[in-house]
Amino acid sequence: MKLTFFNDYQLGLVEDDSIIDLMPLVGNINAPTSQDLINGVISEFNTRYRSLFLKASATEIKIPLSQVQLRAPLPRPGKIVAMAANYMENGALKEPRPINAFFKSPESVIGNGDTVILPPNLATIFHHEAELGLVIGETAKDVQPEEAYKHIFGYINFVDVSARGLNIPSFYWGKSWDTFGPMGPYLVTADEIPDPQNINVNLWVNGDIRQTYNTNDMGHKIPRIIEWASSIARLEAGDIIICGTNHQGLGALQDGDKLEMETDGLGILSVLVQDDSKREWPRGVDTEMADRVAGR
Amino acid sequence: MRIIVLAERINYLLGCEMKLVFYNDFIPGVVSGDNIVDISEIVNGIPHIGPGDLMSRLIQNFDQYRSSIESAEKSNSGVPITSVRLRAPVPKPGKILCMAGNYLENGTLKEPRPINAFLKNRDAVIGDGDTIILPPAPVTIFHHEAEAGLVFGKRASKIKAAEAYEYVFGYVNVIDVSARGLGPEGGDGFFMGKSWHTFAPIGPYLVTADEVKDPQDLHIKLSVNGSIRQEYSTSDMGHKIPETIEWATSIATFNPGDVLFLGTNHQGLGALQDGDEVEMGIEGLGTIRLNVNENLKRKWDTGVDRSVADRIAGR
Repeated sequence: MKLTFFNDYQLGLVEDDSIIDLMPLVGNINAPTSQDLINGVISEFNTRYRSLFLKASATEIKIPLSQVQLRAPLPRPGKIVAMAANYMENGALKEPRPINAFFKSPESVIGNGDTVILPPNLATIFHHEAELGLVIGETAKDVQPEEAYKHIFGYINFVDVSARGLNIPSFYWGKSWDTFGPMGPYLVTADEIPDPQNINVNLWVNGDIRQTYNTNDMGHKIPRIIEWASSIARLEAGDIIICGTNHQGLGALQDGDKLEMETDGLGILSVLVQDDSKREWPRGVDTEMADRVAGR
Repeated sequence: MRIIVLAERINYLLGCEMKLVFYNDFIPGVVSGDNIVDISEIVNGIPHIGPGDLMSRLIQNFDQYRSSIESAEKSNSGVPITSVRLRAPVPKPGKILCMAGNYLENGTLKEPRPINAFLKNRDAVIGDGDTIILPPAPVTIFHHEAEAGLVFGKRASKIKAAEAYEYVFGYVNVIDVSARGLGPEGGDGFFMGKSWHTFAPIGPYLVTADEVKDPQDLHIKLSVNGSIRQEYSTSDMGHKIPETIEWATSIATFNPGDVLFLGTNHQGLGALQDGDEVEMGIEGLGTIRLNVNENLKRKWDTGVDRSVADRIAGR
């Protein structure tokens, strides 16, 4: 099942090229915010909403996707845990780097069709990092790896937009700018992705392929990520873990760019880029970065 | 002196004093002298799913509730604070941002370090009387970092320093509990260093900004098992409050109830270990007391950690 918000943050079910308004079915969730609403759906999905939504898909009116504006499926997640340097760089590394992560600001989230705004700061370059996002379902604390998948509600495309070259190694400064967290176009329930450790992730800028890799190149695999992250922090329904990126294929983002990302089964996320300073960087893949991270 | 006393008296009569708190089963309350008054009937109409977003929305719409809460505060009702269990006044902030290395170390640094910060786990918040649980991770040491915390009152994006204080709702005692020796050397290992469950004690209550005369001149004290460890003034802060707000909000938008930890003075940090009793307070903000639990029963030297103090001060 593919869930997202659309228009004025109505909750919708996406089927092929159309969307079904689910708001009549979720009215009894106590939800002061849209994030509360999707958290409520996630928390009671198996016990209540899965069957309700399936029925709706058979009976309710389908609106063409072309007639709506999609919104981020998780507009303000409680936490965004981002894995740092968690790929083998197409097997170039002998073993994974020591496991590490950082928080990204929940306010950074934007949805399909929105615009990444590059700030006029001291960054030397802005990069796209296409990543697989895991959406937490059941609260996770001190979870064993063999239980990890039980805590995953679904998957989502996520671009970890990154500012480089700041004078100190600061994830807040590099990663948490407003609009630096595009996600979507929808959240796909876990049952639709039989093997999340073997799916292709692709990212294009203005139609040119930049990143193309498979999640089987991940350093610390998904069960280990959940085990480790939940040993530190309690993960709650609607929280997101983004699994890190393969740096082979990163490139500059600049004014006027159109960014598209697709992971197998998760749809195509499309966002625009705006830089009021109109800075220019070389187009195409940043090979210097790719070589450095791969240890070449 | 008489003028100050008079001003305080007028402040009281105008009803500017306000300490907000949760207690027992997260009942919202206001402190009235040595008592605590239940304000749930005043605020329970605010849409919320739990105490965290209740407090955030109360803060956001405070002007609407201020006079009712003031009446409650002056009603001579309530129960003695000593008879209740206090809870964190901001139990689930939207964000916690912590300033890194933001003190001049009692003036030993010539100038502030480059401004920096990290996000801390918002689900790590605990309150007065709670227990800091030290994880069985291979740390070199766990440290307490006593800090002044400020709570945003309004949505804040790209705020100029000159207007920064307009966005501050109030102040809280906070401890940025820290695990050392984890994560990449020389890199940003703040998630592993700072975001363990229970590593964000906040409390005992949230004091409105009008009650804090000069947040840049607050006296902070932290003791462990009755021995003073940290004792410093916010006047030693490197990047001052208006500048930190300008910088932090130039990057991310902050919302009512979000918390900014202003950094610590490292002169006086020391180990936390199993069985410790920690007491921390800032004048005017009350005192928060915490216990420490560590199942591996590892031992570190008690007292101040001189090596970190000297290293940070560049000695």
